[in-house]
Amino acid sequence: MYSSLPPPLFANLWLGNQYRHTGWFGIVFVLTMVAFVLMNIRRAKTGRNLYIRRIAGLNAIDEAIGRATEMGKPVLMVPGLSANLNAIVMQALNIFAHVTRIAAKFSNPILVCCNDAAIFTVAQEVIRDVYQEQGIPESFDPDSVRFISDRQFAFAAGVSGIILREQTAATFFLGEFFAESLIFAETANSIGAIQIASSTQITQTPFFIAACDYVLIGDEFYAASAYLTRQPILVGSLVGQDWSKLLVIVSIMVGIGLNSFQRINTKYDKTWKDGQEVDAPEHTRKASETFTYILLNPQTNANDADIPAIKLRPEDKRPELPLNERVTKTDAEAPK
Amino acid sequence: MNFFLDIPPATFWNNPSGSNALMIRLALALLIGIAAIFVLLKAPTNYRRPIVGVVTFLSGAFYVMLYLWPVAISRNKGIDAPRNPVEGVAFWLDDAVPVVANFTSIVTAFLLGLGVYSLLRVHGRKVMRKETDWVFSVVLLSSMVLMVFAGYGDWYSRLDPIKAPALELRENWGPINYLRDVLFEGMLQQMDAAMFSLIAFYILSAAYRAFRVRTIEATILLAAAFIVMFSFMGSVEAAWGHMVNPSGNIDNFSNNFTLTEVAKWIRGSIQKPAIRGIDFGVGIGALAMGLRLWLSLDRTGGKS
Repeated sequence: MYSSLPPPLFANLWLGNQYRHTGWFGIVFVLTMVAFVLMNIRRAKTGRNLYIRRIAGLNAIDEAIGRATEMGKPVLMVPGLSANLNAIVMQALNIFAHVTRIAAKFSNPILVCCNDAAIFTVAQEVIRDVYQEQGIPESFDPDSVRFISDRQFAFAAGVSGIILREQTAATFFLGEFFAESLIFAETANSIGAIQIASSTQITQTPFFIAACDYVLIGDEFYAASAYLTRQPILVGSLVGQDWSKLLVIVSIMVGIGLNSFQRINTKYDKTWKDGQEVDAPEHTRKASETFTYILLNPQTNANDADIPAIKLRPEDKRPELPLNERVTKTDAEAPK
Repeated sequence: MNFFLDIPPATFWNNPSGSNALMIRLALALLIGIAAIFVLLKAPTNYRRPIVGVVTFLSGAFYVMLYLWPVAISRNKGIDAPRNPVEGVAFWLDDAVPVVANFTSIVTAFLLGLGVYSLLRVHGRKVMRKETDWVFSVVLLSSMVLMVFAGYGDWYSRLDPIKAPALELRENWGPINYLRDVLFEGMLQQMDAAMFSLIAFYILSAAYRAFRVRTIEATILLAAAFIVMFSFMGSVEAAWGHMVNPSGNIDNFSNNFTLTEVAKWIRGSIQKPAIRGIDFGVGIGALAMGLRLWLSLDRTGGKS
């Protein structure tokens, strides 16, 4: 089965048919969103006052830390269970830096629990920086940032133990959480800690909503650092995200209209077979024969919802390497 | 033991085991690494950020290029030759993916030492000062040492290509294999499962609080939850189905009101679009965050 339409821009002129399946639409769409973000960062830097709506969970940060200070108990922060250091963890650490800054002002103890050694190292540096920036580097306790375990439930057990032993007054669970989310949230709930949480894993958000006091849903998590610090770069980026969401909404609307129109009003006397458009009896278009479907599923054979194995056309076949340059499994097995 | 196993097929990124070319590349990589550390240590503080920014940009650029560059389809690795320079770059990128992924593993392996050091310091101090619950810290430290010992012992015993196949059978195991099995399969996995099973009880208590009828939203949530739950309960579903559609004819309009159909509608027309909407927001947020990190626009710590 060969790759099917549509070809990317200039593909036939520049690269040959074997690149058709990569799909140009997704790339153009992503680049447009990138342009929106960069453009708005530039706008924000010029001093434009960009509006951000009120987010209840973030307004509650001061309240949570204030309560912890009154009780003389630590503030617990967990940047999720990401398998490695990624954008989600960095965003969580950005928010934790803000939380730590407020806690440092009131000399309130903090605890950051990490499940990954790379996250632990970066978290330790970020928190140390905050204390230095506040002019109280001596207040930074290296043991306040801890590596617990990289096994999911060992980590869950470790953090739950810390919550119960230290009787944390405020907890922040922000990042990528999985099945352990409810263990954390319910344990903290059982000791009456005020909880602010967010998970980029959509399946865990309902658990946090059920068990926590405040929950940042979806992209509110990414809006947090802009909301808290009002840095032009972050605010501009946030407005860029909103423009991108508008673009998604408009695309969906146009797609619905176009798809509905084509399926109701247009007849089709071809079909797709092995990546080729071939003659067929006239019929109302199937969903897989509409423009939007083919645009969004360029590598899919229109007759088959499953993505087929894409093969080169016979005329596009590549030359083979000389025998002495080939290596198969090991040197010994290589043809001489 | 061969530490320098070559990864087939031969590419720009690897060489035959024990060859001079491999040794030269290893020596070069080592020199570049040492030079990079030296430059970072000696660089004035205000230059460090730009240096880190350039390294971040180059690392990110690899994955951006991997995404944007046309992928060569149906490539027969080790046999096909590129037909043009564009395809040559596509082959090069394709070969580089496992190597670049290994960079991350290597850096993480170094950082794991720091993580273990943190554990040793926190719990070692607790034991030395005999703070509250210090016995648990002793358990943690001793299990860690024992698990490392058993894990490496088991791994080492399976390195011998002649003896390794025999170790697939339990009766050929030695004490170290049994020790590892008891610690890992017998204890750690079971304790993991025990922690996981706790979630069932937590779901119950969380659901009780969430479903208390206090507001209109909570009431709607409760009603939707009951419909979906009942749709999975065979007897309730059958009884309701018989009531709304006694004939059981699937073409009958009343068939739309069986619990299964209503639950399907709730999940497909209300829940799924909401989840998709949130997913779009999260995805776009991650894109913007990744972009700021890649271009070093973000100051971690988000100074006010």
